[in-house]
Order: sequence, then C-alpha cells, then structure tokens
Amino acid sequence: MPFPLSHLLHFTPELILIVGFVVLMIVDLIRPLRRAAGILALVILAAAGVVAMFGWPGTSQTIFATYSHDPFALFFKVFFCLATIVAVLFSLASFKTDAEYYLLLVGSALGMSLLSGAHDLILLFLTIEMVSIPSYILAGVYRGQRSSGEAALKYVLYGAVSTGVMLFGMSLLYGLTGSTDFDLIRNHFLQGSSSPITLFLAMLLILAGIGYKVAMVPFHFWCPDVYEGAPTPITAFFSVAPKAAGFAALLRLTVTLLPRGWEAGWDWPMLFTLASAATMTLGNLAAIAQQNLKRLLAYSSIAHAGYLLMGFAAASDLGFQAVLFYLIVYLFMNYGAFFVVDIVSRKEGSELLRDFRGLGYRAPYVAAAFSIFLFSLVGLPPLAGFIGKFYLFGALIDQGMVPLAVIGVLNSVVSLWYYVKIIREMFLRDPLKPVPLLTGVGAKVLLLALMIPIFVMGVYWSPIIAVAGEAFQLVLP
Amino acid sequence: MNDNFPILILLFLVAAVVVLAFLALTVFFGPKRPNPDKGLPFECGTVGVGDARAPFPIKYYLAGIIFAVFDVELAFLYPWAVAFRDLRLVGFVSMMIFLAILAVGLYYAVRRGVFEWK
Amino acid sequence: MLLTLSIFIPTAAGLLILMIPRRMETLQRYVALSGTAVSFILTVIVFLNFNGSTSNFQFEESWIWVSSLGITYHLGVDGISLFLILLTTFLTFLCIISSWGSVKERIKEYHFFLLLLETGMVGVFCALDFFLFYVFWELMLVPMYFLIGIWGGPRRVYAAVKFFIYTMAGSVLMLVGILYLYFNTVDPVTGGRTFDILLITRQCHFPLGIQTWLFLAFGFAFAIKVPMFPFHTWLPDAHVEAPTAGSVLLAGVLLKMGTFGFLRFCLPMFPEAAIRFVPLISILALIGILYGALVSMVQKDIKKLVAYSSVAHLGFVMLGMFAFNLQGMAGSLLQQINHGLSTGALFLLVGVVYDRRHTRLIEDYGGIAKGMPLYASLFMIVMLSSIGVPGFNGFVGEFLILLGTFKANITYGVLGAAGVILAAVYLLWMYQRVFLGKIVHPENEKLHDCTAREAFVLIALIVFIIWIGVYPEPFLSRMEPSLQAVLDRIQEVSTAAPLVP
Repeated sequence: MPFPLSHLLHFTPELILIVGFVVLMIVDLIRPLRRAAGILALVILAAAGVVAMFGWPGTSQTIFATYSHDPFALFFKVFFCLATIVAVLFSLASFKTDAEYYLLLVGSALGMSLLSGAHDLILLFLTIEMVSIPSYILAGVYRGQRSSGEAALKYVLYGAVSTGVMLFGMSLLYGLTGSTDFDLIRNHFLQGSSSPITLFLAMLLILAGIGYKVAMVPFHFWCPDVYEGAPTPITAFFSVAPKAAGFAALLRLTVTLLPRGWEAGWDWPMLFTLASAATMTLGNLAAIAQQNLKRLLAYSSIAHAGYLLMGFAAASDLGFQAVLFYLIVYLFMNYGAFFVVDIVSRKEGSELLRDFRGLGYRAPYVAAAFSIFLFSLVGLPPLAGFIGKFYLFGALIDQGMVPLAVIGVLNSVVSLWYYVKIIREMFLRDPLKPVPLLTGVGAKVLLLALMIPIFVMGVYWSPIIAVAGEAFQLVLP
Repeated sequence: MNDNFPILILLFLVAAVVVLAFLALTVFFGPKRPNPDKGLPFECGTVGVGDARAPFPIKYYLAGIIFAVFDVELAFLYPWAVAFRDLRLVGFVSMMIFLAILAVGLYYAVRRGVFEWK
Repeated sequence: MLLTLSIFIPTAAGLLILMIPRRMETLQRYVALSGTAVSFILTVIVFLNFNGSTSNFQFEESWIWVSSLGITYHLGVDGISLFLILLTTFLTFLCIISSWGSVKERIKEYHFFLLLLETGMVGVFCALDFFLFYVFWELMLVPMYFLIGIWGGPRRVYAAVKFFIYTMAGSVLMLVGILYLYFNTVDPVTGGRTFDILLITRQCHFPLGIQTWLFLAFGFAFAIKVPMFPFHTWLPDAHVEAPTAGSVLLAGVLLKMGTFGFLRFCLPMFPEAAIRFVPLISILALIGILYGALVSMVQKDIKKLVAYSSVAHLGFVMLGMFAFNLQGMAGSLLQQINHGLSTGALFLLVGVVYDRRHTRLIEDYGGIAKGMPLYASLFMIVMLSSIGVPGFNGFVGEFLILLGTFKANITYGVLGAAGVILAAVYLLWMYQRVFLGKIVHPENEKLHDCTAREAFVLIALIVFIIWIGVYPEPFLSRMEPSLQAVLDRIQEVSTAAPLVP
C-alpha cells in the first residue's frame, strides 16, 4: 500500500500538539524553564488552533480509512484548542502548579482533537481514552487534599465501568458487522441484515459510554462529586471540553450510523427525547437544593447536557447546528461562572452560597460579571445563552416536537430559580464581612474576555451560526 | 430423531447420577487428614507472606506501566523489521521519530524519579 | 429614527451614569433626568405628528438583522401603542423626579436600572418583530428584579424572586408559541420564514384547535402580566415591596403589557380562539373586579389597597376588550392609560406620606388633612379619578367599557357596574380614615405638606387626568382606526360563528 505522506499535512494541528507535548516534557525537566510551562502551553495550543482555523473549511475526505478530515473535525479542533487555552489562562490566574499539569492539559487537547475526526471504532475508543486518562490525573492534581483524591478515584472507577460498557458495545457491533470502519458498518446497517435487538443493544451500550462523558442521566452520578472535589479550573475544563468531546463523538456516531429515515428499526430520536427530558429535569431539580456552588454548577451542567440533547432529539440539520452553536456559547458562560466561583472561593476558603453574600458590594465588577454569566445560562435575552436556546427550541418546534420544547422552557424557569438564588445572595443581601474583595487585573481582563462574546453573540450571531452550519458537513459514504 | 430423544435424556440422567454418586462417595469414604501446610496458597514454590490485600509500593505500578509501553513498542518493531525493505526511508524515519518520542518519555520518567527505589 | 432614539437614549444615559464617579450623585440624577426627558419629548413629537385617520403603522423603521432567520429590526406605532409609549416615557420621567428625594442609596445603580427598564418598556410597545419583541419583553425582567430587590421594602427579596419566576414562567411559554408561529407561516414575498409581526398577523390562519393552544400559550404570559384573577398573587407582593418609582412603573406600564399583548397578538392572530374564550376571560375579569374590590376593602396597608385596586381596574380593561365592540375596546384602551395615570399617582401619593412617617398602615394616620391641605386635595382628585367620578378620566374609560359590555352581554355589564360602586366604597373609606377625623397619633401633627417637587409631579399627572376626563376626543380619535382594524379582523371570522355566545 502506498504511503501518502501528504495526508499527514491534514494532521498539522495534532502534530503541533505532539511536538509541543514533547517539548513541554523536556521543559519540565529543566528547572529554570519550568515556570514558563503555562505560557508555552498557551503558545502551543494557540498555534494548533490557528493552524486548524487556516485549514477551514477544507475538503472532506477520509484518511487512512480511519480518520475523517472534514469541516466538522476542524470546527471541533478549534473549539478544543480554545477550550484548553481558556483552561490554561484560568489556571494561570488561579494557582501555581507543576509543568506536568499543563502537559496533561495539552495531552488531553491532543486526544480531543483526534477524537473530532475519528471515523473508526478503534480510533474512537483510543481517543476517548486519551481524553479520559489525563482527566483522571488532573482531577487528583491536589495531591495532599482528600476531596481531590476522592474525586479522582471516583472519576477513574466510574470511567472504567463506562469504558468497559462502551467497549462491550463496540465489540458487539464489530461482531455483528465484521468491521470497525464507520462506512462499512453503515453499509451493513443499510442492508439491514443484522438482528435489530442486538444492534439496538450494541448502540445502546456505546451511547451509555458516551453518555457518561457528557453526564447524561442516568450516567451522571459521578459528575457532582468529581466537580466538587477537583480543583476549580479543572472542574471548569471538565464541564466544557471533555463534555464537548463526548458530544462530538455522539454527533458523528448519530449522523453516520443512525441516518434519518432509517433508524435500525428503533426510534432513536425518541430515545434522545427521553434522555434529554430526564437529564434536564433531574439536573435542574437537583441543583435547587445545592448550597455548594461547584456542586450547583455541576448539576447545572448536567441540565445543559439535557438542553444539548434536545438537538439530537430533533435530529435535523437545524438541531445539530444548534448543538454546535450552543457549545460555543456554553464554553464562554460556563468558564465564566466557574471562574468567578474560583475567585471567591480562593479568598473565602470555600464555595458555599453564603460566601457570596453581599458580593455585589464587596466586588461589584466580579458580581456583575457573574450575573451576566448566570443570566446567560438561564437564557435571558439579549445574551448569547438565549440565542443558543432559541435555536434548540426552534429546531424542536420545526420538527413538531412541541411537548419536549415545553418541557425545555419549563426547565428554564426551574433553572432560573437557583441561578437567581445566587444573584439574590450577591445583591439583595448584606455582606457578612463588609470588606472589599480584591481581584487582580489579570482576572478582571479574563472575565471581560469571557463576557464580551456573550454580549456580542447575543446581538450579532450570524457569522457564528453560519460557521456552525458550515461545520455540520460530515464525511458520509 | 424423535425415536432417539428418550435415549438421549436417559444418557444425560445416567451421567448425572454417576457423577453425583462419585462425588458423594468420596465425601463419605475418603480419608481426611487436615494439615496447616495444605491450606497455604501455593505461589511458585515460595511460602506466602501476609494477606493478599496488603498494599504494596506504587512503584510497582509505575514500573509495570513503563514495561507495558516498551512491550507494546516491541510488538510494533517486529512487523516493522520484517517489512523494513519495502518501507524504505519513510518507514525508517517514522520509526525513529516514534522511538525518539519514547526515548524522551523514558528520559522524563527517569528524571522524575520513577526508577529510584527508596 | 425617532422611535429608535426614544428607545435607546435612556440606555445610553444609563451607561453614561455607570461611568460617572460614585460620589457625584447630583450629576447622575441630572443625566438620568435629561435622558428620560429627551425620550419623553421624542415621543411627544411622535404623538404630534401621528396621523390619527389610519390604522397603519407609522414611523416605521425596518432593517434586516439576521437574514438567515428572517429577523428584522422593525419598529412602528399605531393608535394602540402610541398612548402606551407616551404613558411610559411620561411616567418614567416623573419617576426620576419623584425619587430625587426619596432614594438615597446606590443612586447610580438605581438610575441605571430605571433607564434600562424604560428601554425595555418602550421597546415592547414599538417592536414589530417577534424576536425583537421577546428580547425587549425579557429585558424588563432583570432591572425590575433589582429595583424591587435592592430598593424595596422589608420583604423585598421574596417579592422580587416571586415576580421574576412568575413572569418568566409565563413568557417562556410565549416563546414556544412564537416559535410555532414562526415555523408555520411563510413570508409571501420571499417565500422564507419571518418573525415580522405584521406579516405573521396577516398570514396566520390556523384551525381552531391550534389557535386555542396558541391563544393559551400567549394568553398565559399576558394573563400573568395583567394580572388576571388566578395569576394575580405576585402583584400585591411586588407592588407593596417595590420602591415608589418601581410601583408606579409596575402598575402604570408593566401591567399594560399584558393587556397590550392581548390586543396586539391574541385577538388579531387567533380571532376564533378569542371568540371561544370570551366567556372564560369575561368571567375571570369579573371575578378580578369584584375580588379585587372586596380584598381592597379589608386592607390595613394603603399601598396594598392600591395594589389590589389594580387587580380590579385591570379586570375592567379585560372586560371591555373582550366585549368585542368599538366602545368596549376604546374604553379598555383608554382605561389602560387612565389606570397608568391615576394608580401611578396614587402610588406616588402613598410614597409622599411614607417618606415622612415610614409607615403605610391606615391606622397610623387619621386627620392628616389638617396639616397637609394641599396633599389632601391632590389625593382627593386622584382618588375621584380612580373611582370614576364624571369629569375625571376614570369615568370616561369605565363608562365606555360598561357601555360596550352591556351591548355584548347584560349580565356581565350589571356585575361590572357593581364593581364601580365597590371601588367608591373602599377608596372613600380609606380616605376618611386617613385624612379626616381627629389626629390620634401626635406624630401626625407636624407633617409638612407636599414639597414643590412632589406637587409638580402630581400636578403634571392631574393635568392629564382632568384633560382626559373633560376632553377625551384627541385620544379616542387616534385610537379608533387601529381598534377598528382589530375588530374587523374578528368580525371577518365571526360571520361563521356568532359574536356573543
């Protein structure tokens, strides 16, 4: 077989990340350079992201029969680089850590960026593991702290179980179709020669494995504990990047293997409808009772996974486009919310609701920023979160799925309840300690950088939605 | 086929009865001489020490993981060596890059003290 | 451009205020005042140049916003929204003046939120694109939440959250309704989808079943805002706990958004469903009138009394609207303006004594007319207008409403008229206990009368109260073409079904 080296060019972002990873390893060993590791990680990720962006939108093709090079993959490459860049900035503003920490973040970015193009069961599995393993270590990066260790252990154990489940599903799929290549599996499906029940079981198991990654009910149990225990920058990273990776995998699987009109004899959109309704309702209801803000945001991120699943329930181009758009918006607002929690908890020592009491008077800028992020999470216009939800609900109603849309909007009202609880605590209550809470300039600039896209995309989002629409062109046989 | 079916069932029954009977007979008639040495777990001829659930140093895991990495690397090297002629320079360079990355990893592991056995 | 300016000049002034250093409070107040004043003047210009002989939208502005979705930035006024816009800018302007002395902390944020609220309110009345409309509609929630929650009374936190959740619950269902309309109507020119309210109104012809659901989705949002009888429980809390300016704008403008919504969307878009809902809405409106009046009667707190009287007044507005004839509708729209003026004035009046005594309980007063003659007489005028005594604006509105209702259904008319009598009872009784009789509490002896600023604000309102009472013609004539257009739309479908069931 000829070895088309030119295909390697399509992997330039990944190659940059690999070289960067090795360089970071070496830097970690040289004591005087070690402090610059964070900056170096930023440069590497930015370079990879920019290179991926220059490839946009590119041509769609399958490389080595295992990897799709298409706008969809490029979109997610840029997304993951951006998400990791924000995580690195967040960590730089938040705490001092080893160079190893940044090494793991870059490694995770590498895994995610490969995952975005995986066109083969084995590559998909490997890349999911490449994302997960650094995550397990990152969750436990506070070595001395019990909660961090507990979080890491829980993450590993739940992760191992779900990986096993997914692998079992993949093996069933391989057994049924005799192939790991998505194209061949799809062709096999379309011929309709396999037993529908086994096929359903295989897909269900794979979906369960991915459902764990995106914290879909009923595979969400790990989420609050891990989010609470892990260091806040890592929690924020988990809530955005690996979750988006899960959605990327889910999107590719659904679109490639479960094409519309043919659903392997099973009503997949119905399955997603149920999962979506359960996920957002449970996430929102559980969030109401939370006193710890990291836990609250963990449940809120479960609820948001539910909103995102609405796009899958709609199973239309508009729905998938809405998912991509919502992920971009979600990146900014969720990072922002976690960043504020981190700022406050670093000063107060914990992240309980009462630590935020009177924050509006102690740190007006930070509190105002937090309100913007929270209102955007609720989905109030004219913020970007509203536009995201608008597209998701629109996609549902376009498909005539009004009941799920009604469940979705009612969930928004429920979510308003606990988000407003935070805002109430910040602005409508007097502070326990009437001393100003000071924040650094760097943190303020980062907050502003996260806020601006939320405002801009709330008013002028046409280019972004156009990108999301263009990105939704996958390689199909 | 139907004619032979009762015979098949009978064969199964006979087999079951015989097996159960032998098991029962050994319980009743077999000599029983318990001995502490017989209760010990047998591990390659050495005598077991302590509980099986005792924690042992994490260094084992680290060494084990490093071993796994190089074990798999060898698995790659064999087919590469066999096809070395056909792969030409491209194959050589790719493998060298692969090995270089592994070497950096090994060097990293050494410098981070993975092999220091304190 | 006129409408855009009157919508966004308040926001611009608000942002300017945020940049002024915290200690320069007077400057902040002046910036807020001039922002609202400019906005008010602009709407007066709109009013003067308004062509009252047509039902078409005027001062239209239309730019493409998001072409892929068919979202436009489309503004315009007709005879229905004209007066509500004018009322909004007028009341906000007066609110800024009235809070000059009474709001003393966090002035910067206070004015910022007040100005942002004005943008939302004017925007809702002007918007002719559903997306834009929804953005303005939701935009009001946040400033109102903070106004109640930060500058409100003792139970402000509870009231603010309740207000927020209630109105949000209503409006998200409306969002579903809007999206449904969007995906089921086609722009006849481009063939694509559109959010344009005028196009959708013209295009939407749904079967009765779907109309009913859509009517409910929209109607739920509006019924909460009005508030109609079973959804009114947020109102007393929000009104009582809000600061004076907040109460004035809540009663004066925010409640009108519900009635405006019925008039603008529910009636012309879903006429068959609207006809079907006449008995339900009329009965709920009557319950609101009688229940509001009876509950007002037993209130110990003056502000709460005024708040419950709003429930009764808005009941009249809904009753008149669903009479489906020109008198009823014109009365209904006029009564919306009247309620904004007179209840706004009542809240301001309550605020005046509250600033002096820091109590709103009726029993803490008594005989204060002696010490405050000007205040007592202003209160009397406003109260008479609220009761609906001839010569004042309330009379014209309620008279037209009852006229229309009697035409449509005599039973409803009789019950509604009973509500007018009850209104006289609770207001007069309250007036007697507060202003007349002997001074029981010695603190009430040396209350000083209205200051010039307070008197100015109240007299400005009273000018309009009497103007509408004596010469409503300029108002009614401008409303009629637009209302007639709504009626025509209902009549179109009612040829098949009888108007009055």
